[in-house]
Amino acid sequence: MRKYFVVFRVALSERLVYRADFFIATFLRFIPIITTVLLWQAIYDGAKVEQVGGLMYEQMVSYYLFLMIARAFGSMPRLSSDIANDIRDGNLRKYLLQPIDYLGYNVALRVAHKLVYFVMAAMPYAVVFWLCRSYLPGWPTGVMLLLSITSLVLAFLIGFAFNCLIGLLGFWFLEVSSLLHVIMVGQYFLSGHMFPLSLLPDGVQAVVTRLPFAYETYFPTLILLQRLDVNESLRVIGMQVVWVVVLGAAARIAWQRGLRRYAAFGG
Amino acid sequence: MHAHYGRILLRFWKNSLIREMSFRGHFIINVASEVVWIVMLLIFIKVIFSKTPDVRGWTEYQYIFLMGTHMLVTSIFEAFFFGNCWRVSELVRSGDLDFVLVRPASAQFLLSFERIDFSPLANVPVSLAVCGYSLAQLGTPVTAWQVGLFFLLIGGGVVILYALLFMFAITSVWLIRQTGINHLWFYTVSLARYPAEIYKRFAGGTLWFTLVFIMPVLMVSNLPANVVVRTFEPFMVLYVLGSAVVLLCICTVVFRFALRWYRSASS
Repeated sequence: MRKYFVVFRVALSERLVYRADFFIATFLRFIPIITTVLLWQAIYDGAKVEQVGGLMYEQMVSYYLFLMIARAFGSMPRLSSDIANDIRDGNLRKYLLQPIDYLGYNVALRVAHKLVYFVMAAMPYAVVFWLCRSYLPGWPTGVMLLLSITSLVLAFLIGFAFNCLIGLLGFWFLEVSSLLHVIMVGQYFLSGHMFPLSLLPDGVQAVVTRLPFAYETYFPTLILLQRLDVNESLRVIGMQVVWVVVLGAAARIAWQRGLRRYAAFGG
Repeated sequence: MHAHYGRILLRFWKNSLIREMSFRGHFIINVASEVVWIVMLLIFIKVIFSKTPDVRGWTEYQYIFLMGTHMLVTSIFEAFFFGNCWRVSELVRSGDLDFVLVRPASAQFLLSFERIDFSPLANVPVSLAVCGYSLAQLGTPVTAWQVGLFFLLIGGGVVILYALLFMFAITSVWLIRQTGINHLWFYTVSLARYPAEIYKRFAGGTLWFTLVFIMPVLMVSNLPANVVVRTFEPFMVLYVLGSAVVLLCICTVVFRFALRWYRSASS
């Protein structure tokens, strides 16, 4: 365990080098939200109804705000391409020679990245949430807060396992990085990032909300939004655990199978 | 000495094509992901208009036309200028701008035209198809002068985007940044994708005014679309074409001014 902590510490200090960049980038990340909010304002005005997709206007605004938090946990920028590149360039050898588990090493790395991000981003997020306070639901109860945090941690794990799995495809395919773009676009839609999945027609919704992407972003967002009660939240968390186990196991198997291939071809 | 700009341009384009041909798989994947993206946008628009008859006066197929126009402008810009603008900041940072400056031709010309990205070019027929589809659905007759004006305004829009982004890129002489220009482009695109009218209700219309009259990024796609599927406003047309010319001049002046500050990187 100690060696993973060292990885974590190194990654931590590495990340803090670019703090100014970080700060500006975090604020900028809210710009598209302004546009989205204005678009929804126009839609609610045009529709002349109270609720769209089961959400009031205020809830719709909050949805996109909480989505940012869920995304902050679940998104793994460049994880799959880093893994794919390590495989393709032969950098993987470096890790294989060390008494360290490559996937465990990456978890430590990502936890560090996320922690730095949360510390740095706390202030900008607090400012934006404070500015938008009239749209937000009230403070959650202790239980809901606990469920929210659990769900977010699981979202992190789902995101990690899924991106690992895609990256590990690099054992079999040379050009994973180009495939990534297609996957990212699909994910943007399927995770409810583009719009709440409740707006989809029922049939489509039934399919989309069963995929892991929904459990990575959409459902954690709904829990944060307090749209789900304790029982529903627990059901979501249960499904998240299932996806973590399934994707995690798949990544582990891909790693072991791939390594055999890699050993055969690497030189 | 008089440089043969026509021949230089031809050589640049040939080189770009050769570079592109060595990554053919890349091209196909890019096109595929773009098509996926368009389908998702169309679904989003369908979802929106299943809830409301109009968005600030834009009906469904007018909105789709706007989307097609936006893709057309941004694809042309990305194909011809984005990569070049991005490279400018890289060259400044690495000090390799020296090798451009010593050549016996206009530095701004060499920097602006060196590369073409072919993948965005593939979006041009796709976006024209989206425009055509919406026009067929609208069923309103389109006159030849409308079409002419449409393409003239598309050209003007590309010039505006070029001037703004190139100016931003060259400021890296003063401010060394990491990924500034990628961010700027991403946010410009995400702002300009929507009907300009949605911004009127925000911050007392100051944001709308800024994005329409001072940095006219909203008009880059809104105005050509307006001319064809909504109303023709002669004043705005003249204003946007005029500002394209003015911004281009400002951009050149800023570029020359910035070069005086350029001190190559130590090596």
